[in-house]
Amino acid sequence: MATWNIIEYGAWALSALFGVLMIADWIKTDSTNSEEVLTSSREGELEAMSEDRRG
Amino acid sequence: MARYTPPEQSKIGQLIDVVVLLGLSLGALFVPLRMGLSGAAKVVATPVENPTWETLGQTAVQAAQYEALGYTPATAHDLILARFDYSFEWSSLILMAVLIIGYFVIMLRLSEQEYKDVINEKFGE
Amino acid sequence: MANTDITSKVMDGMGPHGTKVGLLRVLGPAHVWALGVGIVLVGEYMGWNFAVGKGGAYAALIACWFAGILYTCVAMIDSEVTSTVAAAGGQYTQAKHIIGPLMAFNVGLYLVFAYTMLEAGNAITAGYLVSVVAGMTGYEGVLDQRPFIILVIMFLAWLNYRGVLATLTFNLVITAVAFVAIIVLFFATSGIIGTGIMNHAALMEGQAALPYGTLGILAAMHFGLWFYLGIEGTTQAAEEVRSPARALPFGTLAGIMTLLIAATLTWYICTGILPWEFLGDGVNGSVAPLFDAARLSGSTGLVWLLGFGTLFATLASANGCINDASRAWFSMGRDRYLPKWFGAVHPKYRTPYRSIIFLVPIALIFALGAPLDQVITFSILSGLLGYTFMPLNVILFRRKWPLDSIKRGYEHPFHPLPAYVLLALCAITYVAVFLGYGTQLIAMILFYVVVSLWFHFWRYRFVNRGAQFTMPWPRPKGY
Repeated sequence: MATWNIIEYGAWALSALFGVLMIADWIKTDSTNSEEVLTSSREGELEAMSEDRRG
Repeated sequence: MARYTPPEQSKIGQLIDVVVLLGLSLGALFVPLRMGLSGAAKVVATPVENPTWETLGQTAVQAAQYEALGYTPATAHDLILARFDYSFEWSSLILMAVLIIGYFVIMLRLSEQEYKDVINEKFGE
Repeated sequence: MANTDITSKVMDGMGPHGTKVGLLRVLGPAHVWALGVGIVLVGEYMGWNFAVGKGGAYAALIACWFAGILYTCVAMIDSEVTSTVAAAGGQYTQAKHIIGPLMAFNVGLYLVFAYTMLEAGNAITAGYLVSVVAGMTGYEGVLDQRPFIILVIMFLAWLNYRGVLATLTFNLVITAVAFVAIIVLFFATSGIIGTGIMNHAALMEGQAALPYGTLGILAAMHFGLWFYLGIEGTTQAAEEVRSPARALPFGTLAGIMTLLIAATLTWYICTGILPWEFLGDGVNGSVAPLFDAARLSGSTGLVWLLGFGTLFATLASANGCINDASRAWFSMGRDRYLPKWFGAVHPKYRTPYRSIIFLVPIALIFALGAPLDQVITFSILSGLLGYTFMPLNVILFRRKWPLDSIKRGYEHPFHPLPAYVLLALCAITYVAVFLGYGTQLIAMILFYVVVSLWFHFWRYRFVNRGAQFTMPWPRPKGY
């Protein structure tokens, strides 16, 4: 049945589309933001505010 | 204790580190697989010529289920008769135990070394 | 857009602009339960049946229950440590604070591998399912499963990238459908409603009872883990839970009980309908056993229900896996355990986008290049190494920070008994994996040995020493 062949091609096309969308946005993001901003996240900033400490 | 300042790693260096890690992890899965060393392979020890459900050791109920699934004795032959080989050398079992325990011992020791530095720098000597 | 997404696991503490967004502590125990069961339930739909192949139907049931004990210990221990650490990095962050950097590096890799391999297994199952549906709708040729496997991974990666982590409600709904499908199938086939088609006695007699003897029971323990693998992921929600003290233990332990019920029902349904040789071979035989059981029920409605159940379970699980694996990879990048390039957060979507993209081809390589049982074994081994770490972790945690030194949200009972039980069950499971998959086990351990040496002697020089200890804890006892 030809329907399934079309679905197969559709799956290939959609996969490629999602891949292209991600890569395009990745390149755009990396070129429009400085590396310092992108990697500014630090672990524990939140915990330091919310943890209750005893002793 | 003097504060340790790590060096900045170059882009190329970062790339090489990723490639090394990736190569090692792909190797761990695919080398045993490609070399045919993966013990997972079940084998048919004693094939049956012109199999019927009876010679494959299937009861009527079991045979009925296989037929419902779309199998014939010929197509189900390998599926039914393939078995793991659980015979093993005690030496290889011991080797495995040594390897796992050794791995954890080495790792805990090296971790401990690194951990002392972390605590000293964090809380002062 | 992401400002109101309370289900986001990546908002707080991570985003360059969002580190102080106050959305933590919004989830209740039911969410924790849903998260845990959502990732794991796929284990009932595929993979566990390799345990039948390794030891027969009875062996699989015994393995199922022993693995249940193992995971109960895991859940209790993890609940205590996480209710205190309460950080997004999960077990990686725990290891970093309690045992040391090298252990943390290894634990981070366990997490990434366990989840990425589980994701690959999910994609393989989804691809298989599509091909079966094609066959059922009259397609004559052999359907190429690859585009569907790739599509699953690409689509879910894209969802994760966009920060539209399939929202908790969405995941909850599809998980609920999958869970209800098992219950419905049980009632429809067991004879409780209408005529049953169960035939345990005839299907499990003779050589089918214990085909490998008692050794088979031991060997089956290997895939028995698959019934529950991933339940430890509930602790990843620690940062967003309203009261970790109550919600985490309650949600996690309720999750384990749900899975024990689902696992036992699944075993009962499948072994009563499918011959064990077919059921036990998840590559050439029964890839999706509950689905196959539904096919033999003769009811079209059940076939569709279980088909969707299987698909939903794989998607929910894969989605969670991409999220968790990329977070672990990201956390290591942020601490420079891995190149710091991976420690980047998307300024708009607030996701660890580079880690998500990087893990896509890896998941694809494993999903397309390796058979399902090998992929699952890789995942189980990584999980197992992680479970071996947990008892060591909790013993050292109690020693370095006794109960009166930091407040715990939850204190697990009978310490150190659960730790020793867990350690013993892990040892048994190593032997079980060794039977039949010894080469992979040794290859895997060698990999971790080499990688550990690489980290200690090379990679660790790029890591800040004191700064990686981020918890506001007192100095550990004895240091």
